[in-house]
Amino acid sequence: MTMSKVAGSEMVLQTRGLVKTYRGSDEPSLAGLDLTIPAGELFGLLGPNGAGKTTAISIMSTILKPTAGEVRIFGFDPGREGRRVKAGLGLVPQELALYQALTARENLRFFGRLYGLSGSELKERIAECLEFVGLADRGAQPVHTFSGGMKRRLNLAAGIMHRPRLLFLDEPTVGIDAQSRNLILDRLAHLNGQGTTMIYTTHYMEEAERLCSRVAIIDRGRIIAEGKPAEMIRAGDHATLQELFFALTGRKLRD
Amino acid sequence: MNRLYGELIKDLLLLWRDRAGLLILFLMPALLVVIITLVQNNVYKLMGETSARVLLVDQDPGGLLGREIESGMHGVILTRELDGRPVTADEARNLVSRGTFQAGIVIPPGAGREMTELATAEVRASLTGSSAPGGPRPELSIYFDPTVMGVFRSGIENSLTMIVRSLEIKARIKAFGELLPGYLERELKKQAGEFADYVSVPPLKIDLKTAPLLTIAGRALSRSGLPVVPTPVQHNVPAWALFGMFFIVVPMAVFFLRERQEGTMARLLALPVPYAVILAGKVLAFTLVCFCQFGLIVVIGRYLLPHLGLPAFEPGHNYGAMAAMVLAISLAATGYGLLLGCVSRTFEQASMFGSISVVVASALGGVMVPVYAMPELMRRISVISPVGWGLEAFLDIFVRGGNLASIGGEIGSLLAFAAATGLLAWMFFVSRDRVG
Repeated sequence: MTMSKVAGSEMVLQTRGLVKTYRGSDEPSLAGLDLTIPAGELFGLLGPNGAGKTTAISIMSTILKPTAGEVRIFGFDPGREGRRVKAGLGLVPQELALYQALTARENLRFFGRLYGLSGSELKERIAECLEFVGLADRGAQPVHTFSGGMKRRLNLAAGIMHRPRLLFLDEPTVGIDAQSRNLILDRLAHLNGQGTTMIYTTHYMEEAERLCSRVAIIDRGRIIAEGKPAEMIRAGDHATLQELFFALTGRKLRD
Repeated sequence: MNRLYGELIKDLLLLWRDRAGLLILFLMPALLVVIITLVQNNVYKLMGETSARVLLVDQDPGGLLGREIESGMHGVILTRELDGRPVTADEARNLVSRGTFQAGIVIPPGAGREMTELATAEVRASLTGSSAPGGPRPELSIYFDPTVMGVFRSGIENSLTMIVRSLEIKARIKAFGELLPGYLERELKKQAGEFADYVSVPPLKIDLKTAPLLTIAGRALSRSGLPVVPTPVQHNVPAWALFGMFFIVVPMAVFFLRERQEGTMARLLALPVPYAVILAGKVLAFTLVCFCQFGLIVVIGRYLLPHLGLPAFEPGHNYGAMAAMVLAISLAATGYGLLLGCVSRTFEQASMFGSISVVVASALGGVMVPVYAMPELMRRISVISPVGWGLEAFLDIFVRGGNLASIGGEIGSLLAFAAATGLLAWMFFVSRDRVG
């Protein structure tokens, strides 16, 4: 099996034996992660706190260097073809990666420019993205005046300004109101329907069950279960993904 | 270019919206240059650079001393009378100890007459080979306000000593002129024997002119030939501009830390833009701020300070050297700001350490007190301060009329500092944010 083609379908992302051990830590955060994500998939990466989800996203989105293992994105090694790979990536980090003193439009203009957009294309894309996340009439407002839900929606807009082929979403709905969450999930489904491949981490199992075509449950840096949510639930004779999750990772607190 | 422009505009917008940061960067150095220059101007007065007020208590009104001191003491405002009557010694002591006057000179009664008598006795003893007269001498007293500085004290004492010594010489010459003919006549008559009656020595007419035979002219050396006078303004304008420019390390470090802590850094690192472009945008934004700060302080020095009774700042005409220095200082400050932003873990660390380190470097570099006025140990330590390198180069341009060639060493040092801090920042950044 090559790193770019599996069973004839285009592979957007593949990792092999990904290991990450942070300096000063005895335990690896990732202990040999193998993932294969074909084009168009909405893949859920689930796990308790400290399982290695954010580390995996950080490495796959080229922010962090792995201790060992390899990553291929669109068939390229990000270490060698960084700019080509990054041009097709979008990232919606867990933190609200926005400039609070700038307006929503200024934030999108800044990130859009860095993605290489300019002129009327940039202007149109800002308007589209604001509209897409329901903030069309709030573009001139500074981000620090936004509610948590509005900030999360703008966080998503900043990640899709350049129409990425592969979008990483690290807990994009954490701590927000039901309406904002519903809108974000709708929009993600819409983007996926248009062909955007997504890798998505969340603690909300019902979200993953509703949205993801495939999920992997990771714990202590390793995948302990992987498959389509419905099949995994059925195979384990559980009622929900949540039950399966507890059965695999336990109910003990992970702080 | 579009990406660099994007980063530049974003950082300038963030700075513009951070009003507290703007106050630190612009208002603080502007206030400091005005206040410190005004304060130091007064200190210069106390050091004798400008007129100070001195009381003269003349208890020997008919004598020469009072008149000579009055005409010979330059650079002070001498006051003999208060409320239309001569000031007494007790009043003088009281007014000087309260700081109303910086010094008081008391001439004791009969001092002039006693000095003349002593000179005559001394010359007579010298001519006759007898011993010089002993006993107490009349004493001139000088009282000082305890807050005045040593330079001012020694200035007054030296002036007074010169006047008194000059009077003593005149008194001795006068006595010599009066006694020498009699002495010569007696000696010649002894040797003339039978012709003694024919010996006669006419009286000496010694009329010494008081005009100086040599003049002393002090001039500050300026390579540009401009008549630049070293004033507190010429020192403080570049010094506090430099202080403000180095203070950009605080907002820069805080901005950088905020990007790291609030997640925007993660997003920036995932962008198809070399991180060097993003850093270059930041350096460019803060360099522009430094140029604005420098311009503001120069404008204050040139146009505001003269309205407050201070001399106007003379920037000279070496604009190329000036711009090169501001650029080198901006790069050094931004390099240090990046390092601080990479090393710090909290906003408190960045702002506290940033402020304290800039104040310490400024103190060591001679912003508050000139390096030449520091003790030997501090002078040696001061060479490690990048603020000191910047100030030395600015003073070279603004006071000594230096040019690009003469400040090359300082520019090189500042660029080396910028490169070293930038490299360290990069190493910390890669080690912490990219490798983990």
